[in-house]
Parts: sequence; structure tokens; C-alpha cells
Amino acid sequence: MQAIEVHQLRKNFRIQQSRGGLKGALQDLFAREYREVAAVNDISFTIPQGEICGYIGENGAGKSTTIKMLTGILVPTSGDIRVNGYVPYLEREKFVNGIGVVFGQRSQLWWDIGVIESFQLLRKVYGVSESDFRKRLDELVERLELQELLSRPVRKLSLGQRMRCELVAALLHNPSIVFLDEPTIGLDIVVKSEIREFLKELNRTQGTTILLTTHDLQDIEALCSRVIMLDAGSIIYDGGLDELKSRWGSGRAVRFQFGKAVTAAELTAWTGGLPVTWTQESELVATALIPVDTAVSDLFSRVLGAAEVTDVQISETSTDEIVRQIYSSGSAEKPGAGGILHV
Amino acid sequence: MRIAYYVGLIWEYFTNYMKTRLTYRADFWVEVISDLLFQATNLIFIFVVFAHTETLGGFTEAEVVFVYGYFMVPYGLYSCFINLWNFGDRYIVKGEMDRILTRPAHSLFQIFLENLDPPSLIGSAIGLIIMIWSGGQLGLDMQWWFIPVMILMVIGSTLIYAGIYIILTSVSFYSDSPTGIIPLMVNIQTYGRYPITIYNRVIQIVLTWVLPFAFVGIYPAALFLQRQEMLTMAWLTPVMGLVFFTASLLLWNTGVKRYRGAGS
Repeated sequence: MQAIEVHQLRKNFRIQQSRGGLKGALQDLFAREYREVAAVNDISFTIPQGEICGYIGENGAGKSTTIKMLTGILVPTSGDIRVNGYVPYLEREKFVNGIGVVFGQRSQLWWDIGVIESFQLLRKVYGVSESDFRKRLDELVERLELQELLSRPVRKLSLGQRMRCELVAALLHNPSIVFLDEPTIGLDIVVKSEIREFLKELNRTQGTTILLTTHDLQDIEALCSRVIMLDAGSIIYDGGLDELKSRWGSGRAVRFQFGKAVTAAELTAWTGGLPVTWTQESELVATALIPVDTAVSDLFSRVLGAAEVTDVQISETSTDEIVRQIYSSGSAEKPGAGGILHV
Repeated sequence: MRIAYYVGLIWEYFTNYMKTRLTYRADFWVEVISDLLFQATNLIFIFVVFAHTETLGGFTEAEVVFVYGYFMVPYGLYSCFINLWNFGDRYIVKGEMDRILTRPAHSLFQIFLENLDPPSLIGSAIGLIIMIWSGGQLGLDMQWWFIPVMILMVIGSTLIYAGIYIILTSVSFYSDSPTGIIPLMVNIQTYGRYPITIYNRVIQIVLTWVLPFAFVGIYPAALFLQRQEMLTMAWLTPVMGLVFFTASLLLWNTGVKRYRGAGS
């Protein structure tokens, strides 16, 4: 069964056009001009149960607007949504029992009361039985090491501590789908990787479907088998992360340092038959560029067998770099490839 | 089942309110005392007026004080449970409505719960005391039906308050910026606690049918004072309460669908 089905989903916002100056402000007082802006522009996708899907895009690309429609906060302008078998905004109160939501920028917890009291309050709001609650809380608290934090008021927690509590708060009622809007924003590396590990485990052991938006591509690399990339309200890529890399990545660069001087002719001779391009920095240093589908080991066996190598460095086009390229070109169409990629 | 759930939630939020509030004890008492001082000045105003005249719109001093006492009861309940003061700022501009909408209880109800103000209930209690005291001065005999009718009327009046303010608050969903209409309303609501007969015809109609604040003071109180001329109006209190409250819920439920969220 599909956890999330979205078809031709669109959200328009009416934006007031302010005219400049005092005269403009006075005009605005009587007759306002509005402009319709499509924050989300007829997008379609489905996410099967148990998948971790990354939802990425620049600021203002429409990620949060989509998440808010999927969680029942916003009503779409047009299009169909089904999440967990519900149309979110129609049966909101029943629907939200089956989802968990974490907004990195906004707290779900009550500021002044202890963490455990916030959890108790949420237990009541979601109507979770005391025994289920205990069991679930014990698991989560142990997993995320929150024992000492439980009695502290939320306002006295650090951001990392708070975020771990937010995760617990979103999972107490055992939702089958979890939406995370920038869950790792502002966190240090240790907490980030803890949260990633936790989410991965949650997905593996409970089969929880996870949809997360993030600007940190390491979140995506660590968690997601699938990526949906959004630009200006439209989907520009939907598919596997590996596929994205191989389409866009320009291959790998292997930098060799030699013990003895080598010539350009020698270099090309060693790797004859392999699709390798050499660039020589000096007599002792040269870099080989190989495409993604060529194994580095082939290159190694040729070069190491023929020359005296003192050092090797391999570097890959990073996802960050790929995504930056795509953002700046505004589409995931590699020159030569046609249309939006659906893999 | 659903009612038990909501009553349970009221209790949970109430105990949490107490826990946080009692840690700032001084603050708690300052709020209670300033509330009471505010009510006291209103009462003193009534006494000052009656130092110059015998009756006001056909009502004696003790009767007007009785009406004021009645007014305090639903007002206290309304202030405790239906606190929409900061709605526009907190829930629309700052976008806290997002959080409300991801939880499985009615959105308006959650907002009421998050803004409970139990100290206001002290005002209701004092209102009751004023009613009993001025009723004694008027020689009103306690009748068996006073208590059930009082409960019915107070519920009706509170629903009218709720209805009017929910309608006004729902406007936040339709207009871009918070409107300045609420302070005006706070001013008008005080008109309802004086005998409506002192106002001109237009204001009477407004206070009865448009912004029915006469139903949170003078009309229902007149029932206990046995003023025959307002009897029908008094019995209309629960009806008006239901009508306004239902209308306001409909408006709210439609308004929520227009919520646009804040930020990205």
C-alpha cells in the first residue's frame, strides 16, 4: 500500500502587491492589488510504506508548503492528496492520530513545564493508554538517552536536547508516517548523527515511513534511498540518490604522487584502453580523471604495477556539489538528457 | 466518549497551568488583585451614579448592582475559558496554528485550553456573592428554580460571549493583518450590564440582536428581579447563546481552511 499519494497538487498564495512610497501606501489602503503565486505547482508523487524519502530544494522552493498540505495544516488549491488512506484536511482530527510531525524551527513542547509533563499532556491529547505510553516512552527514552532531561523544563534544554525530546513527542502515539521539516537544523555533528541513526533504526524496526526536508545533504546521504528535488514549486528530480550522482557526478579524480619522475607518455601508456584523462602537475604529481562506471581498482592495478607510488588520493564529486549545480541551473536535466528524470 | 476526552483534557491543562503559575506566585496574586480592583472601580462608578439619582432606566441601585453581579459570573467564565486575546499574534503571525493543526482535537478547543485563565473564576465567585447580597437588600426570596435557571442563563450568556469573540477572531483568517476591532468590542460589552432602557432605540437594537451583550447582563438578571417587561428576552438568552455559538463555530471551521501558515 502507498503511504502517501499526491496527484497534481497545487497551492496558490495570494500576495499583496505593496506600492512604494506614502502615496502608494494610501492607495493600498483603498484598493489593493494581489498577485497569485503558485508555491507548489501541480506536483505528483507516491511514497510506498516503509520508505525514507528526502525532500530537498532551495529556500522558498515549496518544501514546507507541501509538508503542510500533507499534514493537514494547509488546504490545497487543487489536486488530490491521500496520506495513510485519509485526505488530510478533510478528516484532520482522525488523520493526525496516524502521523508524527517535527518542525525543526518550532517546538511541539510546552515551554514552562517539565519534559515529562509535556509528554503526559500529549499522551492525553492523543488518547494513548497509560501502559502503551509507558512502554513506548521507556524505549524512546532509553534509545535517545533522555533519562536526566525528563524533569527539566523545556526552556532549560539545549537545542540538541530539545530536538531529541521533540522526536519523542512526535512518536509517542506510534505514528506510521513521520514528517520531519529540517530536523537537524542548527545541531552539532554528534547530535545530527545520533538523530540520523535513530531515524534509520525507527524505519528498520517499526517500518515507519519517513519524509524529511533538509538543507543538509549528509542527512540525505545517510538516510534516504530516494530523493525528491523541488525548484520553484515543481519537481525537478524524483529518484534514487545513486542515480542522481551517476547522472550528475562527473566521475572521480585520483591523484598520484610518484617516487620517481614520470613523463606524460608513460602515464598514457600505462592506462591504455581505459577511459582515463591525465593531468600532470609536476614530474612527481599527476591526476587521473575516470568516469563513474570505471572501477578505481582497474586504474590502481595498472599504475601500481608500473610505477613507484608514494601517495594516492581519491576524490569524488560530492552530493553538495551536484545539488549546487542543479540548483544553479534550475533543472535536473543533464545536457543531452531530456525531460524530468523519473527513475 | 468524546466529551469525556475533552473534559479530561481541560483537567490536564488546568493542572499544568497551576503547576507553572504557582511557581510564579506573586504574579498570580497580582493578576487576581488587579482583576478585582478593575471590577471594584466599576461598582464604585455605579454607586457614584446613584448618589445623583434614585433610579436608572427604572432600576434601583440595588437592582443595578444585582445585574452587575450577574454580569460578573458569565464574564469570569468567559475570561477563564475563552481567551482569544493574543490569537492573531501568537497563532497566525507566529504560525503556532501549525502545531495546533497537527493534533487530534478541535483547533479552537486546543486554543482555549492553551490560554486558560483560572484566576478569572474568582470574579465569577464574587459576582455570585454580590447577587446574593444585593438580592437580600431587595428582599428577593430564594426560590427552588433559581439555581437551575441561573445555570442555564449563565451557560447561555457565556456562549454569547464565546460566539461574538470567536466570530471576531475568525476574521483573522480572512484579513491579512490583525484587526483593531477587539478593543472596541471590549468597550461595547460593558453596555450590557446597565438597564438597556437608558439607551436610545438604535443602541438597544444593536445590543439585543447584533452584538447581543444585553443577554450577558440585563436580560437574564431581570428574570430573577421579576421584571415582567423583559421576561421574554430573558428566556431567549440560551437560544441566542446557541445561535451565536453555532454560527461562530461554522465561521471558524471555514476560516481555518483559509489558514496560510507563517514563514517557510
